[in-house]
Amino acid sequence: MDDTMHRFRTSATAAARRERTVFLLFRVATYLVVGCGVAVFLTIFLRGAGTVLQKEAPFVNTAFFTQAPESLYVFDFEGVHRQMGFREFQEFKAAHPAAKLNPETYIYSAGGIFPAIVGTLLLVVGSMTIALLLGVCAAIFLNEYARDGKFIRFVRLSIMNLAGVPSIVFGLFGASMFVVGFKVFGIQFFGWNTSLMAGWFTLAFMVLPVIITASEESLKAVPKGFREGSLALGATRWQTIRKNVLPYALPGILTSSILGIARVAGETAPIMFTAAFVVSDKLPWQVDHLTDMPFQGVMALPYHIYVVSSKIPQNAYTARVQYGTTFVFLLIVAVIASVSIILRNRLRNRYKW
Amino acid sequence: MEPAATKTASTFTQGVLTTRRRFRFLGLTAEDLIRVFFGGNATVAIIVLALITIFLLREGAGFFGQNQENLRIYRQAGLEYVDYMRTQVDGHTALTRELSALRLAQLQQAMAAGQTTEAANASLKDFDAFSDKFSDAIVPLRQLVSELTSGPDGDAGATAIKTKFLVAADKRVERQQLIAAGKTEAAAQVRIDEVDFEKELQPLLAARPAFEPASRELSASLTALAAKPPAGDFGKFQADVHTYLAGFPATVQKIAAWDFNQPVAFRQAFTSFLFGTQWLTASLWQDWYGIIPLFVGSLMVSLVALVIAVPFGVGAAIYINQVASPREQRWVKPAIEFISAIPSVVLGFFGIAVLGELLRKLSGVTWLDWVPGFPFSERLNILTAGCLLALISVPTIFTLSEDALNNVPRAFREASFALGANRLQTILRITVPAALSGIISAVLLGFGRVIGETMVVLLCAGNRIAIPDFTAGLGVVTQPTHTMTGIIAQEMGEVAVGSIHYRALFVIGLMLFILSLLINYGAQTIVRRYRISIG
Repeated sequence: MDDTMHRFRTSATAAARRERTVFLLFRVATYLVVGCGVAVFLTIFLRGAGTVLQKEAPFVNTAFFTQAPESLYVFDFEGVHRQMGFREFQEFKAAHPAAKLNPETYIYSAGGIFPAIVGTLLLVVGSMTIALLLGVCAAIFLNEYARDGKFIRFVRLSIMNLAGVPSIVFGLFGASMFVVGFKVFGIQFFGWNTSLMAGWFTLAFMVLPVIITASEESLKAVPKGFREGSLALGATRWQTIRKNVLPYALPGILTSSILGIARVAGETAPIMFTAAFVVSDKLPWQVDHLTDMPFQGVMALPYHIYVVSSKIPQNAYTARVQYGTTFVFLLIVAVIASVSIILRNRLRNRYKW
Repeated sequence: MEPAATKTASTFTQGVLTTRRRFRFLGLTAEDLIRVFFGGNATVAIIVLALITIFLLREGAGFFGQNQENLRIYRQAGLEYVDYMRTQVDGHTALTRELSALRLAQLQQAMAAGQTTEAANASLKDFDAFSDKFSDAIVPLRQLVSELTSGPDGDAGATAIKTKFLVAADKRVERQQLIAAGKTEAAAQVRIDEVDFEKELQPLLAARPAFEPASRELSASLTALAAKPPAGDFGKFQADVHTYLAGFPATVQKIAAWDFNQPVAFRQAFTSFLFGTQWLTASLWQDWYGIIPLFVGSLMVSLVALVIAVPFGVGAAIYINQVASPREQRWVKPAIEFISAIPSVVLGFFGIAVLGELLRKLSGVTWLDWVPGFPFSERLNILTAGCLLALISVPTIFTLSEDALNNVPRAFREASFALGANRLQTILRITVPAALSGIISAVLLGFGRVIGETMVVLLCAGNRIAIPDFTAGLGVVTQPTHTMTGIIAQEMGEVAVGSIHYRALFVIGLMLFILSLLINYGAQTIVRRYRISIG
C-alpha cells in the first residue's frame, strides 16, 4: 500500500465516518419521536386495559360501556375493604342500617362512560354531516367551476387562515354566537344555550378547512380526460361533475374526511363551553319531543377525560375511570385515524391515465 | 382546467342550451343556479372567518370601556392611594422573607459543621434579635395601611367606599331594568345612595400627614439596623435594604400628589391590559386584567416545545426524506402522522398521570444536579407542558419539512453528487438550504399549533398566574405558569355573560386569533418570497 493512496483513504474514511454519525443521529431522532408516540399509546393501553377488559368471557367490561358515571364509595366493613358505586352503596346501607360506614367518596369514579360515548358519537355525526355538505360543495366550486381570480384567491386565503385558528378561539366564537346568540332589531338569533346544535356548528366550522382541502385533493386526482370526454359528448358541466367526477372522487373525499372525524372527536376546547356538560342525568333522547334533542347538552369523552383528570385526585381508586376512559377514547380515535391513513394510502394514485 | 378547454366547452354547451327551452329562475338557468349554489358554499370560509372576527370584536370591544371604569373606581374609592402606601409594607415583607432565607442558610451551615439543632439555634441568637427588631419596625405603618384598607373594625376604609359604589351601581341597573319592564313605580322605589367620594375619602386623606413621619421613622430605624448586622454574609441584604429605602421619597411624593379626581385616560384601559403584570380576578380588593403573565407563560411553553421539537422534527424529516430506505419510509411516515392524531386531552392526561411524576423523579437523580432548575418539586410546570407540546408539534414540523425537502429539484442533488460531494455534504449544503424557506415556515406553523393548544397547557402547565422568575436562568422552565389559552378554558365557564371578566377573556381570544393570523401570514410569505425556482 503506498503512502498517497493511504492518505486519500483516511480522509475518505473520516468523511464517511462523520456522515455515518450524523445519519445515525438523524435516525435516532426519528425513532425517538416514534418511540415517544408508542410510549404514550402503550402506557394508556396497558393501564387502561385493566378497566376495559376482563379475564372471564365476554372479556370486555360491558358495565363500563353501558352505565352512567357514579360516585365511588370506599370504606372498611367488618375488616373487609370495599369499594362500590353509589347505587350499590345505597343498597348496602339499607342492608346494614346499624353499621357506621364513614366512606370516602370520589366523584365519577364508579360506573361507566356510556353517556359520554353517546355524546361524542352524536357530536361527530352531526358536525361531520354539516362540514361534509359545506366542504364538499365548496371544494367542487373551487376545483370545477372557479377560475383563478381575486375572489378565489381570497377564498383560498380564508381557508388557509381558518385552518390555523386555535380551537379555543372557535370555542369562544361558538359560545358567543350560538350559545349566547345575538339580537338584531329585537329578534333573537341563535341563543341555543349549551347544546348539541351549538357544538355541531362550532365543530363543523373548525373542521371545514380540513374537509375542503381533502376534497379538493381528491377532485384533483380525477384525470382531466374524464371531464373533457364527458363535455365533448355534450354533457353539461353539472352532468359531467355528477356522472364523471364525483363518483371517482367520492371514495377519496370520504377517506380523507375520516381524518376530520378524528379531529372532531378529539377536540375538547371548542365543546367545553358550547356543547359539553360535566355530567348529565338524562341521555340526549330522553326528552319530551324529539325535536328538543338537538338543544340538549351532552357529555363527551374528551371533556369527561378532562374532568376526571383535573377535578378528582390521582389515586388507586380514581385511576380506574381515568385510564379506562382515556383507553376507550384513544382506541376510538386511533381506529378512525388508522383506517383513514390506510385507506388513503391505498387510494392514492389509484387513477393513473 | 385549462382555459382553452373551458372556453371550447362552455361555448359548446351554450350552443346546446340556446337551442332548447330551459328552466329559468331570476334569469338564471339551472346550470347557473348550481354554480351559484356551489359558489355560495365556497364563500362559507370567508363568512366564518368574518363572523369569528366580528364576534370576538363585539364581545371584546366593551372590555376597554369597562376596564376604564374599573380603574376609575380604583382611583376614586382611594384604593390606589392605599396601594401606594402598601408598596412600602410589601417591600418590607419581601425583605423579611429574605432574612428568614438567610437564617435557614446559616442554620444549615452550622448543622453541616456538626452542631446539634439546639446549639445551632442558640448560636443564631444575635440573628434572631436582629430580625425581631427588623420586623417590629414596620408595625406602625402596617397598622396604618390596614386601617385605611378596611377601617379599624373592618367596615370602613377604601374597601367600604368601593362596596358602597358597587351597591349603588347595582341599584342603578335594577332601576333601569324596572323602567325597561315598564314598572315605573317600582323603579322610583329603588333608592340609590350616590357616593360622595370627596366626603367618603376624608378619613383616608386625614391619614396623609401621619404617613410621612411613620415612613421616615421606618427609614431611620432600618438604616440604623442595616448598618450593624449580626455575623454572617449580609452584603446582598444590605444592598436590598438600601434600594428599598431609596424608593421611599418617590412614594411619599406620589401620595402627596395623589388626587382622587384626576381622570383616568382611556389609553390607560389599553396599557393596563397590554402591559399589566397582574391577572387577578374575583378579588376582594381590586381586579386586574394584565395579559403579560399569561402571554409570557404561553411564549415560554411554546419556546420549550419548539426547542425540543425542531431538532427532532427537522432531523426526522431529513432522515426520512434523504437517508431512509423506502421500506423505512413506508412505515415511519404513517407512524408520525398517527402521532398527530393523538388528541391533546389524552396527552394532557398522560402528562398529569405519568410524565410529570417521571420528570420530577428524574430531576431528583443526583448526577443530574447540574441541569438548571433541577431538582424541582412542582410536577406540573413549563417543562412538562413543553415536552408534550413538542410531541404535538413534531408531526406538523415533520410533515411540512418533509414536503419542502421533497420539492427540492432532483437536479440540485445530482449536480452536487457529480461534483464529488458525499450525501451528508449534499444534504447539509444543498438540499437543506434549498428547502430552508419551507422548513422555516414549517417551524412557524408548528409554533402556531403549539401556542393555540389548550388542553395540554391547561392540564400540565401548573396554572399559576405569575410571571416566571427569570433570575433562575434556564431553570425558569421548571416553574409552573399559566397561558392565554389555558385561562380562557379555565375561567370561561364561570363568568357572567357581559361582565368585564367575560369580555377580558374575549380580548385574549382576539389576541390569539390575531396571533394565529400573523403566524399564518408569516409562514405563507416566507414560502412565497424565498422559494427557489426551478429553472
